[in-house]
Amino acid sequence: MGGPGSSSPCASCKLLRRRCAKDCIFAPYFPPDDPHKFAIVHKVFGASNVSKMLQELPVHQRADAVNSLVFEANARVRDPVYGCVGAISYLQNQVSQLQMQLAVAQAEILCIQMQHEQPLQSHHQVLELDQDEKALLLNNNNINNCNNDNNNLGYAMSSGQFNSNFASPSSIMQMQMQMQMQDPLKQESLWT
Amino acid sequence: MNPKRCAACKYLRRRCPKDCIFSPYFPPSDPDKFACIHRIYGAGNVSKMLQQIPVQTRAEAVESLSFEAKCRVEDPVYGCVGIISLLQTEIQKTQTLLARTQAEITVAQAKHSQTQVNEFM
Repeated sequence: MGGPGSSSPCASCKLLRRRCAKDCIFAPYFPPDDPHKFAIVHKVFGASNVSKMLQELPVHQRADAVNSLVFEANARVRDPVYGCVGAISYLQNQVSQLQMQLAVAQAEILCIQMQHEQPLQSHHQVLELDQDEKALLLNNNNINNCNNDNNNLGYAMSSGQFNSNFASPSSIMQMQMQMQMQDPLKQESLWT
Repeated sequence: MNPKRCAACKYLRRRCPKDCIFSPYFPPSDPDKFACIHRIYGAGNVSKMLQQIPVQTRAEAVESLSFEAKCRVEDPVYGCVGIISLLQTEIQKTQTLLARTQAEITVAQAKHSQTQVNEFM
């Protein structure tokens, strides 16, 4: 009974009230000192589904899979309607907002560079973007204020915004091939 | 059997009652949607989750569950957490680039002002 090197059943077998076999698939990832971890995964996905998912993965990927399942389960319990998709929508809006700010800044620097290249033109020409022009460019994008999370995330979902941007996970996975991917589970911000 | 069973009841091979909790969200025209969700979450868990939220939010909950299930099928290790990681990386990169560009603007504006002053003198 118990996981490798352990005399007590793993958290999964404790919750499921069964004998913890030596080759228990859950034991390496659900130690007995953290019962909440399995409880939340079981609540959202179910023990048999988690077991099937882990069995279909090579051993060296199972720890990461468990951690991502725990993350998703926590997100779903915190937000039963949107789960992780709420976070994706929020981050997507942040990316759009930043890209717009970057585009405005790059346009501004281009204007300044053009001004340097044509020094004989009128000194009074306004080649820089003034505050109104910047505000107009930013507001036209209708970017949600990141502080008004829930209402705007709901709007994003119901308006089909997340559907149009994440029409299919495959298109997102293609994005993955273009971007350099860091180990997602070692970024502390993900787990706070 | 009722020919108008929802996709969930068809998949589960059971009668589709009038008050079936799945039927508003799993039309028979899209069998894959329920199949994918069932594979990841299981019918019982989805039913429980839907029962615990107000009726007006259930359609969106089903869409988000469907999306997460698809992500998990396509990426069995990271699921949609992989997408979150990508977005966070993109945010960091864009913030760095934005800060750099804004610093360049400040320098360029200072140079431009200095040039204007020199030309008038």
